[in-house]
Order: sequence, then structure tokens, then C-alpha cells
Amino acid sequence: MALAVGIDLGTTNTVVAVVKDGVAQTITDAQGHKLVPSVVAFHPSGSVLVGRGALERRLNDAPNTIYSVKRLIGRTWDSPEVQDARGKLPFELAEGPNGATQVRTRGNAYSLPEISAFVLRQVKAIAEAALGEPVVRSVITVPANFNDLQRATTKVAGRLAGLDVLRILNEPTAAALAYGPATKPRERVAVYDLGGGTFDITILDLSENVFEVLATAGDTALGGDDIDVIVAGRMAEDLLKKHRFDAAANPAAFGRLRILAEELKRTLSTRDVSTIEADDLVPADRGAALKWSFRMTRAELEWSSLALVERTFRVCNNALEAAGTPPSELERVILVGGAARMPMVARKVEQFFGKVPIVRINPDEVVALGAAIQASLLGRDKTQTKETAFHPRIAEASIIEAIPVEEAPPSIELDLPVVEGANAPSLPLVGATKGARPAMPGLVQSAGLPLVGAPVEAVKPAPAAASKTTTLPGVPAPKAMDFLPGGAGRRLVFDPPEPDIGAGDSSLVDLASAWPSVPPGAARSTPPAAPAAHVEGPAPVPALAPAPAPAPLPPPRRAPLLIDVTPHSLGVETAGGFCDVLIEANTPVPCDRSRAFATARDNQTTVTVRVSQGESKRFAENTCLGEVELSGIKAAPRGTTKIAVTFEIDADGILHVKARDGDTGHETTAHLQLLGAQSEPADLEAMRARQDAHPLVPLPR
Amino acid sequence: MASREALGVFLQSLGRKTYYDILRVPRDAPPDAIKAAFHDFSLLYHPDQYVASPDAVDVATEIYKRGVEAYRCLSRAPLRARYDRGLARGKLRFEPSKPSTVPPPPPPARTLETIARSRAGKGHAIKADRYIDTGQLEKARLQLVSACQCEPDNEELAERLRILYEALALESL
Repeated sequence: MALAVGIDLGTTNTVVAVVKDGVAQTITDAQGHKLVPSVVAFHPSGSVLVGRGALERRLNDAPNTIYSVKRLIGRTWDSPEVQDARGKLPFELAEGPNGATQVRTRGNAYSLPEISAFVLRQVKAIAEAALGEPVVRSVITVPANFNDLQRATTKVAGRLAGLDVLRILNEPTAAALAYGPATKPRERVAVYDLGGGTFDITILDLSENVFEVLATAGDTALGGDDIDVIVAGRMAEDLLKKHRFDAAANPAAFGRLRILAEELKRTLSTRDVSTIEADDLVPADRGAALKWSFRMTRAELEWSSLALVERTFRVCNNALEAAGTPPSELERVILVGGAARMPMVARKVEQFFGKVPIVRINPDEVVALGAAIQASLLGRDKTQTKETAFHPRIAEASIIEAIPVEEAPPSIELDLPVVEGANAPSLPLVGATKGARPAMPGLVQSAGLPLVGAPVEAVKPAPAAASKTTTLPGVPAPKAMDFLPGGAGRRLVFDPPEPDIGAGDSSLVDLASAWPSVPPGAARSTPPAAPAAHVEGPAPVPALAPAPAPAPLPPPRRAPLLIDVTPHSLGVETAGGFCDVLIEANTPVPCDRSRAFATARDNQTTVTVRVSQGESKRFAENTCLGEVELSGIKAAPRGTTKIAVTFEIDADGILHVKARDGDTGHETTAHLQLLGAQSEPADLEAMRARQDAHPLVPLPR
Repeated sequence: MASREALGVFLQSLGRKTYYDILRVPRDAPPDAIKAAFHDFSLLYHPDQYVASPDAVDVATEIYKRGVEAYRCLSRAPLRARYDRGLARGKLRFEPSKPSTVPPPPPPARTLETIARSRAGKGHAIKADRYIDTGQLEKARLQLVSACQCEPDNEELAERLRILYEALALESL
């Protein structure tokens, strides 16, 4: 049976993974990259670049280079998110049929799922090259609090890319799956997922192989990108002050500042101060090349992003309340998403939950790995019954040893003593993590920043940082560091309590089998060498991330079962503009509920019911999904005909409706018309044709 | 995994069961027991457990949705209190149960009565039909065994008894 893959279709990066021979592993491209930037560039030739190649074009062909589509997908043209993005994105958005949002580039209009489909086609091609077989079946992840429209649209994107979407899976649930089954009979786990564009918190209850989602909540417009914008804003202020150049009024310049800001932010995850320098930001007609440098301390970054991070905890409170779980009852807090690398985020999470958060699997890959596990479960056939299935292990290449967590609560003061020597060689302060994104080279003062033409490498390891430095002992920290919050005390987090396979203690062996992520034998005492999958230069052949050395399989377990929930309450509009809830938020899926609707006029043969998702009692304050049109109703005096409508939320979290004339069994049909969706066969056909018209630029070999 | 037919018979029997019976918990079960029971229910009927037998997925989905309905109600104290009051008046479902809202998946099309040929066999078969309709599978089994004894050559009847055994096995898990 062909392999089924898991795809984390992210705001900024997309990752594809697969379970092969019981090991979940991230698939790399021919150059060894695991992350495919979710960027699509339309070339004048008609071909389309996706990923790194497209990222380069974001700098010099911005109007035809599309990114951050995930923030807009499934959102109607008149939604605040789309209207807000219109002014900020350098490509053109337009209104399509049925209130849809479209992208206009090179004279064509594309719906948003079409753009995502290009990204999916690219990762499909990467997976096929690596696995050496066609890849069709897949599980695609979405933020847990994506609504019905966003899920349905993501599924359309998968189909357009030629994928059979086995499941739309929630990202935090996928992460929990990757982290393995409970180590105790009963365990409550929180997954804190701060990604590029979205924030999600999910509370799960684990018992043996059952993963039950108790509650999920989130903010689809809050992520690491927002921190970039804040930093870019500070850069713009600085530019205005020093050079009277208003970058905020110049979208192209501001776009570049955002890219610089992102790099600065990343650097500050591993350093306490960093400086960037750019000499071609200001257009040439303003005179000779302008030298500009911007310096920021980690304390300043943390101060600037504090409000954003605090916002996540309001959402966390909602989720904990819905789950009926105080933070003290949580056994584990798992940190997911690129923003998990920010030391402040880990620190704040620890303060909030009272637990050291766990980042054991590379936060960039963990969602895709979990999706791959679910794909392998849903893709099994009769020959692979669930009795023979067990919880797959995570490839060693995706396991990271530790992240730095600072002990002392921050005392953020902007007038901290300035650390001089930002241009000194970077201090090996932080556990450079295997497979993790190490410090960016070329960002210190001594190196000019390559602005144009240089790919913005997401996973390029600094050669020095690739070596394993996990702790401070022996590394004399400069005195100045003591002034910085958390500069001194750092500790490592290992999770779970390390199974000591060799000890021969049967209870420990049981523990290992309950969490068979670390292959027995591949002990931590022999850390793998440099992360082979990341090495630039002479490219390895397209291959899976290196699998661990052959190790005895863990004892078979029952395959995991996920019980996921619907994130939003589903309701119908009633007289007076109120919303009548049919299915409450956090109800397990699949589920359904029936409701009878009566005609309001004599001889009425159609009834229209508007449906929404959200927690407000007023219909207008929720997200309107669209309307259900009931037709074929028997002509009769008003109120005498009652039509029972069944609202079903399927395992993907997508709504379906069925109608039945309650009295007569008359053939009443219900048609759900989603807002902004182009789900009619003709629409799909047109979108498919446009996909065919754009070949992807072939993968480099 | 159970066959589509057995799941269909089991689904039919759910219509006459209380939420407590569906999740197999006593009326005074504490919240933790209800949660544990729902996990067990999920292991048996979650449609993802049937991916290897695609023809059974839709029936399993219908069963699972009934379990979710029961769990949703019993795991929320105010809803459970209201349900208990309704139950005292004989209301098995929390929903304002409008007639035939959920189209049931096709149960085995022919009634046992039509399958049985002899007069004595039909007598037992009619009773078995009635017990299946009311969710009393064990009583139905006794009648169906008698019907089969009347008609040892009736293979269709024997097949239905096999399905019933399978459904009973589901019930006793």
C-alpha cells in the first residue's frame, strides 16, 4: 500500500513527513531542507516557483510573489482580516464571486486555495522524489480553531494539488500525537502552539492510547509574524529619526524591514544583543548608498512583544476553563511552533502553567510528524489491522536535546547596561539544537546583510553553532551578561524522564515502551554528529531524514486513537437576530444534531437558514458560514410543515447538512452554500485547469 | 472489527437505550467513569477504527455520533440533571426528539418474519423482530435460536443469527 504523508501547511513554512517502517520522519528536499517556505511566485514564463526560489523573488518581484495566504484562506472579502491585509501585503487582493477573496497577479485572478495548492504540489513533488513512489494520500493540518470555511477551503486546496485528503487534522492534536502516548494511566497535557501566524492552545486528556481533546481555543491572527511587524515598526522609527526616511509609507521598504526584523528576532533567541546593517534600503535617488544599522537587545525585543505574548494567556485561560482543568492538574505542557524558540515565550509559559514546558521534538517539524502518524493510521488497509499497529517512533533527526529556559523571572528594564561587543563572535550560550535553527550567520555588525538575491535561509546552520553545546559550564560568560534577564541560570529540559534502557530495570523498560520515541540503543550518550540533513553544499541524494540505527522495535502497542473536537459553537439564526446553538464548542467529532424548521408563509416551498460559528448569542457577532436552503417543501399552510434538518460536523470539522420533511418524508433537499467558497463542480474544474496551466519549476536535483 | 451488518443491528438497538446504557455506565456514575466509558466507546466505534473496512465506516459514524450525544449530555452537570428529569418521564434522548430526524442507515432490509418460512418459525421470528426493535438483543437471540431450530435449512435465518451474535458481542465488550 502506498505511503500516506502528513503535511503541515504553515503560514510561513510547509513541512512534509511520513511514517516508514514504524519511524515518523521529516522528508527533506534534494538540498537537505526540511522547511519549504509557503511562498508562491508567478514567473513571467507562466511557470510557478514555490519555496526558497519564490522567497528570493519576494524581494525583487513582490507584486507577483504570494505569501501569508494561510492568514486569509477561508475568509470572505469583507472580513476584517482581509481588509486589514489589503494595505499590508505587497500583492493585489480582489473580490471574487460569492464574496470570495482572490489574488491577482500577472493579469489572472486566483482563489486562495489555488495558491495553497501550488505549495502542496511542491511538497508532494518533494515527497515523491524522496520516497520514489507517487504520493496521493495525505493528512493536512490546520490551526485548531480554524472554522468550517477555513477547513473546507484547505481541503479544496489539497484536492487541487491532486491529493486525497484523508483528514484535516488540528495542529496541536498532531503535536500531541507526535509526543507519544501517556506515560501514566491518566494524563492531562496542554499544547501551546505559537506559530508564524496563529496561536492555539489545546488541552488533552490521555489515557493509554486514547487522545481526547478536552478543549481548544486560539487566535488565528496572532503569531510570530506580529512580532516581526512590531520590530519592523521600531526599525522604521529609527530610520525616520536617523535618516528622515519613512519606511512605513513605503510598502516595499517596509517589506524588507520585516524580513530583517524576522532575522533579528531569531538571532535574539540565541543572543542577548544583535545588530543588523543595511545600506540599500533607502532608494538611490536620495543620494549615495546610505549606511544604516539597527541594534536591539533581547530585553528590548521582549519588552516590545510582551503584550502579544500576554494575549496568548487570556486564550489559555478560556481553554483551561472550558476543559475544567486548573493548570496544576496538567502533567505536561508542550511547546510547538517557531515562536517556541523565543526564550521569553518558554519563560512566560512556565510562569503561567507552573511547569517547565517541553520542547523535545523540533518545533518546526513536530506537527508534520504527528500528521504523518495520523496519516499512517488512516491509510492502513486490511493487511495492517490495528492490532499490529503501534505508536510510531520519531526519527532521531527530529529530536532535539534541549532548549534553554531561563530561571529568573524577567525584570525588563530598557535602561539595562548596554552590552558592548555585539560584533564579537557569538557566544555559544545556548544549546544549539540538533535540527534546530541555530544562530544566523551574517547578522553581526561585521557582516553586511545581503539584501537582494540572497535566499533568506531558514535553516542554514552556522558552522560553529552546529556543534553541540548544551550548557554553560566551562563557558565563561562575560560579566555584562549578568545584567541581562536570565543571563546566568539556564537549565536543560529533558523529557520524558529518560528511559534508561540499559539498566535492566523492568519498570524503566515499561516506561520506554510506553514512549518509544527514543530508539533503544541509540542512547543519548552518543549524540549524533552534525545534523546531516541540514548540511549545505554537496547535496545528499533526495532522501528521508536519516533514520536511526537499527534498533529493536518497541513492544507493539495498540494504535493511538484521536478524539478531536469542534472548536466553535455551531448555531442558526433565529428571529430577532439571535443565534440558537446546535452544537457546542469542544464537542467531539464526528457529531450531529437535528432541528426542525417550520415554514413562515402559506405555500412556502423553500426555507433559508443562516448558519454561523462562534460563541456570541447575537448572530451578527459570530462568523457567518453561509446559508442552508431547504427546497422541495410541500405547499401547505404556514407552520404546518416542519422540516427536520440534521447538521453534521464530520471528523475533519467540516459541516454537512441533511434535510427531511418531518411529516411526510417528502423529498426535501438541503443545500449548504458556504460564503466565499467555490465548491461547485464548475468552479473546481476551472481551478484545476489553472493549476494545469502553471507547471511548477522542477525541483533541483 | 464488527461487520457492517452487526453494527447496523447494534445501531438500531441504540434507539431504545438511555444515554447511560449507550455508554454502559450506571445512573449514578461519577464524571470520571463517564469519561472512561466514552474512551472505551470510542475505541469500539470511532470511525477511524474502521478505516480498514470502508463499508462499515458510515454505520460506525452513526453509532459514534449517538455516543457523542450521550457523552455531551452526561458530562455536563446541568444537562445531565435535565436529562435525568426527562428520563424519569420516559424521554430517552435529550434532544427535543422530533420524529425521524436522523435517517438511520439501512438495517438488514428484510425482517426475520419474512425470512422465516414455517408457521412456528415465523412465530419466533416476529418476537425476535420486536426484541431487536426494542434493543433487547439477548431476548431476540433466544427467539431467533428457536426459529432456526424450527428451520434448520434456512441459511438466511442462520446468517442473521450469526450477525446477532456479533452484535451481542459488541454489547458485552
